[in-house]
Amino acid sequence: MVLLFPLFLPLAGALLVFLCRNPRVVVRVALTAGTLELAAIGIAVYSIHSWGVLQVGRYLCADGLTSFFLISLGLISALVLVYSSGYLRHVPEGRFSSLRWFYGLVFLFLFTMVAVYLSANLGMMWIFVEATTLASALLVGFYNTEGAVEAGWKYLIVCTVGIAFALFGTIAFYLAAVKGGVSPQSALDWGTLMAAAPGLVGGRELLKLAFVFVAVGYGTKVGFVPMHSWLPDAHAEAPSPISALLSAVLLNCAMYALLRFDAITSRAIGSGFSHTLLLIFGGVSLAVASLLMIVQRDLKRLLAYSSIEHMGIVAIGIGLGGTLGLLGALLHTFNHSIAKTLLFFTAGNVRENFGTLRMERIRGMALSLPWAGGALIVGGLAITGMPPFGLFVSELVILTAAFSTAHYFIAVLMLAAISVVFGALLHHFQHMLMGKSDDVPAQPALQASWLVVMGVCALCLVVLGVHIPAAFKAVLRGAMAVLQP
Amino acid sequence: MGLFETAAAKALASSGVFLFMTVLLIAAAKRISTCIALFSVQSLIITAQIIAVSRMHHSTEGFVIAGLVLSVKVIAIPYVLYRIVEELKAPRDVSSSTSSSQSVFIAAGLILLSFFAVRPYVGVLGGDQAMLAAAVALVLTGGFLMVSRKKALMQVVGLLVLDNGIFLAALTTTFGMPLVIEIGIVFDLLMGVFLMGLFVFRIRDTFDHLDVSKLRRLRG
Repeated sequence: MVLLFPLFLPLAGALLVFLCRNPRVVVRVALTAGTLELAAIGIAVYSIHSWGVLQVGRYLCADGLTSFFLISLGLISALVLVYSSGYLRHVPEGRFSSLRWFYGLVFLFLFTMVAVYLSANLGMMWIFVEATTLASALLVGFYNTEGAVEAGWKYLIVCTVGIAFALFGTIAFYLAAVKGGVSPQSALDWGTLMAAAPGLVGGRELLKLAFVFVAVGYGTKVGFVPMHSWLPDAHAEAPSPISALLSAVLLNCAMYALLRFDAITSRAIGSGFSHTLLLIFGGVSLAVASLLMIVQRDLKRLLAYSSIEHMGIVAIGIGLGGTLGLLGALLHTFNHSIAKTLLFFTAGNVRENFGTLRMERIRGMALSLPWAGGALIVGGLAITGMPPFGLFVSELVILTAAFSTAHYFIAVLMLAAISVVFGALLHHFQHMLMGKSDDVPAQPALQASWLVVMGVCALCLVVLGVHIPAAFKAVLRGAMAVLQP
Repeated sequence: MGLFETAAAKALASSGVFLFMTVLLIAAAKRISTCIALFSVQSLIITAQIIAVSRMHHSTEGFVIAGLVLSVKVIAIPYVLYRIVEELKAPRDVSSSTSSSQSVFIAAGLILLSFFAVRPYVGVLGGDQAMLAAAVALVLTGGFLMVSRKKALMQVVGLLVLDNGIFLAALTTTFGMPLVIEIGIVFDLLMGVFLMGLFVFRIRDTFDHLDVSKLRRLRG
């Protein structure tokens, strides 16, 4: 029961929104549904914490890892809904681009992502990861401009092809499990597979093949270089709240799928193969994205490349493995989500005031837009991993893992890339903050609701950087226990 | 093994050849509608294979899946694509960057390549070598169609061919996955095609052409 609420609330929200005609009612329904969803997720997380693994029927299941990822989904989606209510005041009415469609699709998108987290079955997980692409493609193309349509098309095609490879990988896993003696009916259930994993050693070659396909497939969705081509376009062309959802929730969702497969593979044939593959993908993504950040001209594209960079860091954390590596990776997904949400919200504000996201045309934010400028400084410092923000802690944990397991090359690469990113962001942001602008900002003061959501982001970042609350620690411990039984 | 089972096994073994033929014909085709028809034929062959396999394994679920594939991949998706071609009122050639004969040679090369590629895995994956090779060949030609054809609709056709390949690989190696999962996968595909069709119209409306090779505004 506890699991059905967070799963079906967004679906009900989508239906209600599609039924409403009045834009004002739409916003109110959306905010109510968002609040209820957050509460439902909170209750689900609490129940998982007190009762352990929850199972509903054969296809739904939630364990510690699920609850960890559900927390960031609930938090970010609630923030995004509040932010959108102020952002989408002047949406041009068009086919598939009205307030109704926006909120309807957002709730469908949320439904598919919650379903990915709650899937007990790897096949079902695949179905819903593919569904996330379908639900969000229209949101990426929401503005209906040339760029938006192109980005939407690219997103749809690239991700569908990528995910098709993950399907083949899933099938190969199924085959390996069936050959290893698991009954065909339950050979895709993650729990069963995890329990049976030590007995699958015989299918070593097949599991390796399967994991390569899964890593390429879900890796496309995570945005690993070289399958990342859709990511900067989609993030840059989508409305800012959607960019935040894509970067802070969707990428984690795909990473979650990879984590599940990595756990089975490591348990079955040792962690050497899958972890090396993740280290390679992570290292390449980190290096390439950090260099590309230097030459970006569009603020949201810059933030998109920063997402690729951070997903690379998370992949490195998983690839290093062990308690430290995994802890750092999980913590980093959470921290990155919050920092990136704050930055995309700021980007939305910049766009409203300057009418552009081209960074060379934006000057003097520190003076003319004190609140947004402040948010940009906080977000920028947080995303580059400066103390006292959360990302400093998680990056430090991952670096410690790299040094303590003698992965010196990875450690040096990571330090170098983080320095490059720091330089790049400093260069871009100081250009936007300093100087004097010729244009007068449309509305220099921040709306109250935006102030609240951005304040919540900044507060979370500082809290996680200074002291991880006991409750959050318990959830983290639960997530780690699932992956390292 | 009864007569019907033997016949089914024989038909299954030789059906790979028919799939190779559809691959070569799609590579040679100059009109989008021909490609759609060939995709439909290809899906029909795969449906026949599903029926043969489920007959051999005495599985009733297999027949349900066959019915599903028949209605979605052989009838619904080609019909939707036909309608889109009609509605678009745009030139109907595939506008390939390679000529027809070059494409056939490349497709033939890909078929050869897939025979070599699957050889080390026949033992591991099980299944018939020709069928596995056909699956890989479908995936490769699907990818080839997607990169060489400039029309947005042809990218959809390429994607569908690629997807057929993965479906065939699943069929030959695992004799199908649990029914609920198969239904979900086919449903996703159907929704995906609808959505891509929608985007094709939007591309036409915003750009006044359907040539995706000219969509290059977003770079770097």
